[in-house]
Amino acid sequence: MVSKAASAIVELAERSQSLFGEKAAAISQLMALANDCAEQGWDGDGACAIHPTALQNAKDFLRALPESFPMPEFAPEPDGAISLDWIHSRHRLFSLSVGSSNRLAFAWLDGADRGHGVARFDGLSVPLRVLSEIQSIFNHGNAPLRIA
Amino acid sequence: MLPSELPDRVGDEEDVVGFLTQSSQFNATMAKPAAFLPSPTSQETSVSRHGREPLERLWAIGLTAAGTRKLYGAAIFKAQAVRSIQLKVLADEPPPRHAAIRGWPWIETDPELQKAKQKELAALIARAAGEPLLR
Repeated sequence: MVSKAASAIVELAERSQSLFGEKAAAISQLMALANDCAEQGWDGDGACAIHPTALQNAKDFLRALPESFPMPEFAPEPDGAISLDWIHSRHRLFSLSVGSSNRLAFAWLDGADRGHGVARFDGLSVPLRVLSEIQSIFNHGNAPLRIA
Repeated sequence: MLPSELPDRVGDEEDVVGFLTQSSQFNATMAKPAAFLPSPTSQETSVSRHGREPLERLWAIGLTAAGTRKLYGAAIFKAQAVRSIQLKVLADEPPPRHAAIRGWPWIETDPELQKAKQKELAALIARAAGEPLLR
């Protein structure tokens, strides 16, 4: 009984370690991106440098993302924000903008369906609407992602 | 006729190309929506009037557009894909073959809503472009 409980604790610790590793790797990618786009005009066409607050907000967002959710890909945006993209295919994707404000702009394509919206991020919890949209992009025919 | 000898009007079936100068602007599946967002200063997206062939000329135009930046690849789509979402694609020389995507939503009072609308349109252009042509 004790040995079973100990195994469960070890398993949980190992899982946490691997998840932490995944988030740590994503945060490293974010920092590399911010470094690549640290100067005004990084796109050769007047783009703003990645704003330090946008970088911090993006890190907070990743830390707040439930562990059952896949990590996004990142891309710089010309206004100094960072795009977090969940791309299932070119017909099914969710793209979120993290800038220097606490409001997140997002848009999605899901087959013939598409849309956009804005949600407030308090730095601690990912807005439910955002989680729900990411979930719907990845859930077609797959086991559902757990929000909590 | 323009100095490039292309017609003044970009044809609906004409290919236009956005050059990819950041490795984070694309993956194996597609160029990401952010690659098509407009510049905050000019409020337009810079593209060139060219398709996949001839490849040598495509990369020559891309290298000129990239300047000192690395050129990773190209995202090619039809002008009609831009017009079908109520944006404009207009010839804008010089430089030769340059064009601009204009008419992006601009809402000064709500920058996040503006961005959300722009992202949806940029995602549709990214979908139309599909898999990037890598150099």
